[in-house]
Amino acid sequence: MTSLKQLLTAREMPVFIAILVVVIATGVAKPTFFSATGVIDILLGVSIVAILAIGQTFVIVMRHIDLSVGSLIGFTSFVIGDLYDKGYGTVGALAGALAIGLIVGAANGFLVAYMKLPSLVVTLGSLYIVRGIFSDYAFGRTVTAAMVPPEVSWIGLNRLFGIPYLFLIGLLLVAVSGVAMRRLRQGRDLYAIGSNPQAAELAGIPVARRVFGAFVINGAIAGLAGAVMLGRFSQANANSGLALELFVVAACVVGGVTIAGGSGSVWGAFLGAILLQSITRAIGALGIPQFWQQAFNGGLIILAIAFDKYLNSRVKTTTIMGSKDE
Amino acid sequence: MSRLSFSWDKGVALFLVLAVMWGTLVADNFANTSNLAFVLRDVTEFAIIALAMTFLIISGEIDLSVASTLNLASASTGFLFREGLPFEVAMVGGLLVGLACGLFNGFLVTKLGLPSLAVTIATLALYRGLSFALLGNQPVNQLPDFWISIGYGKIPGTFLPWSTIVLVILAAIAWFILHHTRFGRWTFAIGVNAEAAKFSGIPVQRTKMTLFAMTGLMSGVAGIVYTLRFASASPDGAVGFELSIIAATLFGGVSIAGGVGTIWGVLAAVFSLGVIRSALQLSGFSANSLLMVSGGLLLISVIAPRVTEALRNRKPAAAKTNTKKTLREVGNE
Amino acid sequence: MNNRLIKSGIKAFALTSVLALGIAGCASGTTESASTEEETPAAEETTEAASEGLRIAIMPKAINIGYFAAWDEGAQAACEELGASCDYIGPNEATGPAQVQFINQVIQEGYDALVISAADQNAIVPALEEAAAAGITIVTSDADVAAESASARLVSILPSAADRIGTAEVDWVAEEVGEEGSVAILSAAATAANQNVWIAAMGPYLEATYPNMSWVGGSLDSAVFYGDDDATKSVEQFNAILSQYPDVAGIIAPTTVGVLAAAQEKKAKGVDVAVTGLGLPSEMAPYIEDGTIAKVGLWNPIDLGYVAVYAAVLGHNGEFDGAVGASFTAGETTYEVVEGGIAYLGDPFTFTIDNIATFKEIY
Repeated sequence: MTSLKQLLTAREMPVFIAILVVVIATGVAKPTFFSATGVIDILLGVSIVAILAIGQTFVIVMRHIDLSVGSLIGFTSFVIGDLYDKGYGTVGALAGALAIGLIVGAANGFLVAYMKLPSLVVTLGSLYIVRGIFSDYAFGRTVTAAMVPPEVSWIGLNRLFGIPYLFLIGLLLVAVSGVAMRRLRQGRDLYAIGSNPQAAELAGIPVARRVFGAFVINGAIAGLAGAVMLGRFSQANANSGLALELFVVAACVVGGVTIAGGSGSVWGAFLGAILLQSITRAIGALGIPQFWQQAFNGGLIILAIAFDKYLNSRVKTTTIMGSKDE
Repeated sequence: MSRLSFSWDKGVALFLVLAVMWGTLVADNFANTSNLAFVLRDVTEFAIIALAMTFLIISGEIDLSVASTLNLASASTGFLFREGLPFEVAMVGGLLVGLACGLFNGFLVTKLGLPSLAVTIATLALYRGLSFALLGNQPVNQLPDFWISIGYGKIPGTFLPWSTIVLVILAAIAWFILHHTRFGRWTFAIGVNAEAAKFSGIPVQRTKMTLFAMTGLMSGVAGIVYTLRFASASPDGAVGFELSIIAATLFGGVSIAGGVGTIWGVLAAVFSLGVIRSALQLSGFSANSLLMVSGGLLLISVIAPRVTEALRNRKPAAAKTNTKKTLREVGNE
Repeated sequence: MNNRLIKSGIKAFALTSVLALGIAGCASGTTESASTEEETPAAEETTEAASEGLRIAIMPKAINIGYFAAWDEGAQAACEELGASCDYIGPNEATGPAQVQFINQVIQEGYDALVISAADQNAIVPALEEAAAAGITIVTSDADVAAESASARLVSILPSAADRIGTAEVDWVAEEVGEEGSVAILSAAATAANQNVWIAAMGPYLEATYPNMSWVGGSLDSAVFYGDDDATKSVEQFNAILSQYPDVAGIIAPTTVGVLAAAQEKKAKGVDVAVTGLGLPSEMAPYIEDGTIAKVGLWNPIDLGYVAVYAAVLGHNGEFDGAVGASFTAGETTYEVVEGGIAYLGDPFTFTIDNIATFKEIY
């Protein structure tokens, strides 16, 4: 168990504080923000980006990036509805989504881990390829509410003690990943690789296998997360998931998962996603004129990134998971 | 290192020639001057920004906000014109806005030390948001006819669009600076190893700041060209251009790890992509196919050099790349 | 050094070959002459023969959108009747610059006419003017260019007079909320010309006709939220409306993406707010059937496509000049051109529990 001091100096603390600041400040200005709808909405809206950010963390920690997640989740959210509509059943539809996620993840992983190609380029390429295949496959069709598997829409619409199931899925994922990153040798290896790939190699860590694994897992997560997206919106079309990857990366960075690799945690990424969503909601609730909202959003994200960097460079921090910061 | 860029640059130039030939064979209306004019007009904004992006990526940084900067420059021009300023003055205003955006990015990266990938995602949103704040939901049209004819029309007596002149001049300047001046050599040195560059007396931070400013200014120029070509300034223009520009730059042989690249390669890459799009379109392929082709080309652009190098050297390229990355990371701290 | 020389040499060679091919193309003639070769002067003399073999490009805002698939259906039906050959081409993102690339293709390939739904009311104008100069007849349908640029096209086929669409929607929401309460609007992109015109009509009409109703925030401006025709953004804006104005009685969504998102969100949250607007019957059917939505409306995009092709063919053959007061016949109906060079189809259909079963199969 982490001591109180460890908790307070955790790398994730700045993000958590930022979230509190945003939520409380907005709530003071506009008390309706504190209503169940206000806070629950944040949780509901955050689910997709949060889940993707968790998977992205595995990849970023090792100094890589995966830009194809937006196209991938859009594709699988459509495929799930489409397969179900064609009679494959819920399990069949989800299996299809998982398969697509695994294939894309494996392709990315192979090119990056074994052919040693730069991940930015590879995943930018797969972003285009997947979006192209997706657009052709979907071509003008829309997946509508009637085509969503009932289990998926049930999870999308319901809550446990008021907390949306979609959020709970994310919470479960981050808890499991967090433990895995810390306890499992494979998890700690990721940090080692990110800190110093050559030392890791010399220490006998199978770098290529870990990198490959991370991309495959990220792909699987993005693939299955299509169900979350479909459950949330009850519709999908060729534009689903467009430009989502940039938000995911921003959530990771804001949450302390540095692009340079080697530090940050899935909890940080999760909180980062929550922070981004809180900012967006706060801006909406505060009644900032429509045409200024996006500018505010961008400005606040810059502040969040700077704030996180400032605090983390001043204080000697450890992550909540206990692994040391650089 | 230079062997890598040598083989890929030759590759892209060859690819451009092959693409043009393939287009001629495969599509009926491809190989004539009016189509060439269309392609030129289409790629000009991308090419202008790609010139600056080349420098930036070679130095080890990146800028994802270029499309939003282009659009903010365009929106500013439109805004100033709508407020009553003469159009020529409005255009200068737009250029200055582009420059300011670049300077702000540079400030965030060099003075605050924030990672460029992450922070330019945020400025992407900020600059686009400012375009909306300026124009609301009212695009500006009714621009002076004279300037629109420059933006869309051709140089009398030829098939070349006016905007091509701007591109040629900027490309020549960029080529000269990157490959034949001290500043260009500094850019490469910083990309190869920022720490060593600093120790050998190169003003790393100042150079990077200049590079970001250049990128902003070029995005501003592209924004003006864009405004004239589409005879309007709108808050939601140029969405998603940044990824295409980066893809073209990378396809042109600029290594994402820094330290490698040429202006020729990038120009050839930008034109190739424009040529291929045109050829695909004219032979009846849907717009979706172009996405797949772009992605595929990007992958080939990194796979091919690796394969040829592996065949040539029989040595894993991994060690080289990893070393570079570690050293660069140290240089960024 | 040697390498560099070779490199520069290859570069120069590459660029020269491109230019050479270009100049060679110059010798083979520009596209302008190519297209006029196809539209022979004889076409203007024989009307029946002229429809045969006409090549028309049908260009939506974006090819991947279901609404335009229906629009194209109508266009293709008209093409068959007229013996013209029609190609459905367009970008996969609904932006001006993307559409311009395809307008260029239409010019390159020497089409006779272009039926287009403008993705951007300004950005495509120079390209359209170039197409017109090349002899291509241009008809906009579903979405027009800016009023100032109306001369760039022959005529525009639009669903109904803007105020009719806007005021009808106000009527629908008023009906559902019992003519009292505050109302918000969930629109498309802030720059969406169609929506802005409809919204402008809604403002004065609501104030004049329903004294017990108001706009949230007190004015029309504060009541409009932009969902950008994106599912995610529309859902977020729906929630923003609810969190800023918890007492809102009704929401008008004059866009098929927006109304679908609003319906889905209303059902998910179980909130008590009336949702109406412009919706595709096939998409809205489940929500109408389970009572989430009482009524939505839309014109028939199939008709829009159908009538537009007729206008284009008749215009190309010189039988219709698009002037104010001129009229033309498409199928069974005659349409007249009114001010602004626009021909309107008629009032929108409304879809309720009574007729949704039939319409959801059609589009």
